[in-house]
Amino acid sequence: MGFASAQDAALGEAVFAKCKACHAVGPDATNKVGPHLNGVVGRPAGSAEGYKYSTAMATKGAEGLVWDEATLAPYLANPKGIVKGTKMAFAGLKKPDEVSNLIAYLATFAQDGGKTSADAGAAAPAEQKAEAPPQAPADGQTPIQPAPAAARGDGLKLGLGRLATEDEISAWDIDVRPDGKGLPVGRGTVATGMGIYDENCASCHGDFGEAVDRWPVLAGGQGTLQADRPQKTIGSFWPYLSTVYDYVRRAMPFGNARSLSNDDIYALTAYILYLNDVVDDEEFELSNENLATIRLPNEANFIEDDRASEPHNKPGVEPCMKDCRPGKAEITMHAAVLDVTPENSENDDAPAAGIE
Amino acid sequence: MTNSARPGAASRRAFLKGGLAAGAALAAGSAAAGEQVITEVQDWNRYSGEGVDARPYGTPSQFEAHVMRKNVPWLTSDVVSSINFTPLHELDGIITPSGLCFERHHAGIAEIDSKDHRLMINGMVEKPLVFTMADLKRFPRENKVYFLECAANSGMEWRGAQLNGCQFTHGMLHCVMYTGVRLKTLLDEAGVKPEGKWLLAEGADASSMTRSIPLDKALDDCMVAFGMNGEALRPEQGYPLRLVVPGFEGNMWIKWLRRLEIGDQPWQQREETSKYTDLLPSGKARRFTFAMDVKSVITNPSPQAPITHGRGPLVVTGLAWSGNGTISRVDVSIDGGRNWNTARIDGPSLPKALHRFYYEFDWDGSELFLQSRAIDSDGIVQPTKDDLRAARGSNSIYHNNGIQTWHVNKHGVIENVEIS
Repeated sequence: MGFASAQDAALGEAVFAKCKACHAVGPDATNKVGPHLNGVVGRPAGSAEGYKYSTAMATKGAEGLVWDEATLAPYLANPKGIVKGTKMAFAGLKKPDEVSNLIAYLATFAQDGGKTSADAGAAAPAEQKAEAPPQAPADGQTPIQPAPAAARGDGLKLGLGRLATEDEISAWDIDVRPDGKGLPVGRGTVATGMGIYDENCASCHGDFGEAVDRWPVLAGGQGTLQADRPQKTIGSFWPYLSTVYDYVRRAMPFGNARSLSNDDIYALTAYILYLNDVVDDEEFELSNENLATIRLPNEANFIEDDRASEPHNKPGVEPCMKDCRPGKAEITMHAAVLDVTPENSENDDAPAAGIE
Repeated sequence: MTNSARPGAASRRAFLKGGLAAGAALAAGSAAAGEQVITEVQDWNRYSGEGVDARPYGTPSQFEAHVMRKNVPWLTSDVVSSINFTPLHELDGIITPSGLCFERHHAGIAEIDSKDHRLMINGMVEKPLVFTMADLKRFPRENKVYFLECAANSGMEWRGAQLNGCQFTHGMLHCVMYTGVRLKTLLDEAGVKPEGKWLLAEGADASSMTRSIPLDKALDDCMVAFGMNGEALRPEQGYPLRLVVPGFEGNMWIKWLRRLEIGDQPWQQREETSKYTDLLPSGKARRFTFAMDVKSVITNPSPQAPITHGRGPLVVTGLAWSGNGTISRVDVSIDGGRNWNTARIDGPSLPKALHRFYYEFDWDGSELFLQSRAIDSDGIVQPTKDDLRAARGSNSIYHNNGIQTWHVNKHGVIENVEIS
């Protein structure tokens, strides 16, 4: 297997002189500026006890990186390229022979600082390797033997692409956050917004935001979220006003996106607030200065994902296999009753759960 | 060169004609015992077919023309912002043919020449960058098989059985092999600043589709893909570039991907506030419910694929998947969940990919209530629809991973039902 002859190890000891200022090996080795290197060949990255690793190195270890000849070689040649964010300031060993000899030398030290069988020029320290976590990647779809290319992409900048210009970024980056970040300078009143709405929006969303056909309803619905048929509108459901501005600006009017001015969108957003009774003055003016201060009524009713706490999502419960429910199964509902399946439908009564 | 100009062509035609007459006489005189497709020479066995260049990009057999994506017109106002469904009942294995992967567009299909496409990375990065498609193809690539499921898959079934066919109840689902660049590779190239916690992905279509994605996920297994099933992405799947967010809801897999922005908080976009939030009976709504739960469905037999062969050996097959990882087991019930038998998983078992299962038995011709139940590598068991409704009510729209029941009557006709 071409690994670790005693001669290589002896040459590696000379190379190790470059490392000694920060790293120690042998029975008395402790962590210095860098971690001790006893048993480093075969141990997971970032695992020397008591040493405070960089986040980058700790992450590598958590991801399953184990130091061996294949993984140490590129790292020793280019530490910051392979583990971006490593604390090791060393620029790297430029000669491949130095790298392989150094690894051969390091492989002679067991975890306790004693000598391994590798020292005798025998096989690689298989026992040590067996103790290390398996190298199988977490996602299970990566080959067990990582191709060199896979390592290349990992933190090594290739210098591809070019710098984006300010004008390019401002042309595309139009997103707006609830805190107002991203809002363009501008203003518009409810009264102005009404005219823009009638011309651009009412044909789908209805004169008062009540919607035509199955287009989205924009207004009304307050107090219906616990009802059998909730009506989720901007006023009854949406948590943030910034979302209205952002969405109209990027995607509306449907089929003619990006055609309204920033002032038009402030006016439209103001008018939608008016339709939802959040403001009641037709002279109300919305602008980049006050948009983030306006709260929508339903903001507090959004919660984070807690599906894991549901009883049926408890892991490790062995499901029933025999006589799991009493009696014979009886049909309680047929899809055919609604008969809304496309191929045989003559009934156009649409159920509530539409998709926009 | 025409046939008539070729030496010997005339005599060959005379021979053919004689042969045809002889064949006709045989059929009229003493009919051979057996099926005519065997006892009589068929056209395809006699006449040459189309040459090699007749179909330079191959298409399925004309006899499979019924296998196609279909939409449900009443679901949406306009096909430009709509969805259609993968014909799961006609498919096998775990890979969905590219042309049958369901479509979901918010402003139609963007038709973009790859020469005109750019990917920008901006926000909290050391260097805001712009890549051409040619640039992207110079990074190290990887190939991964992942399922994509719309969070609204089975969403029309929350209130009970509605759509009669697994294409419509479960067909917002596909699974292909993606080729592309690990997203982390590109983000490393730009250099994410330490305060970066979220990523905004944006499409180039007329909806400028956007979603906020936690940076941890972006740096884990996300990909920027330009290939599917060995060729370029199809236009309706985001050609020339889409985001792959393994195990997470399909809406996040931004198509026609043109921009990635790093920020320190989510952007609260329309598709993560007013949509893709799950309303509960309390009036509260869950948001950022990204992962797709463990789920399975019997794809055949099913309402669009009834049993036509009568009693005797029957193959029941279906799909199972989980956003958590692999599927460790699938059970099948033929009596509506009273008793369960462990099915056979065949083919590759890849994390966050579809799994194919089979359960074979001798059908005695009696009524069946077919169900499947998947268990994933996290040990989570697919719940019943009653379990889900008990926890969430019926207004969640999204994330319905409940056990599906198909009723099979004595004639093999199958219906989507809910049972006691």
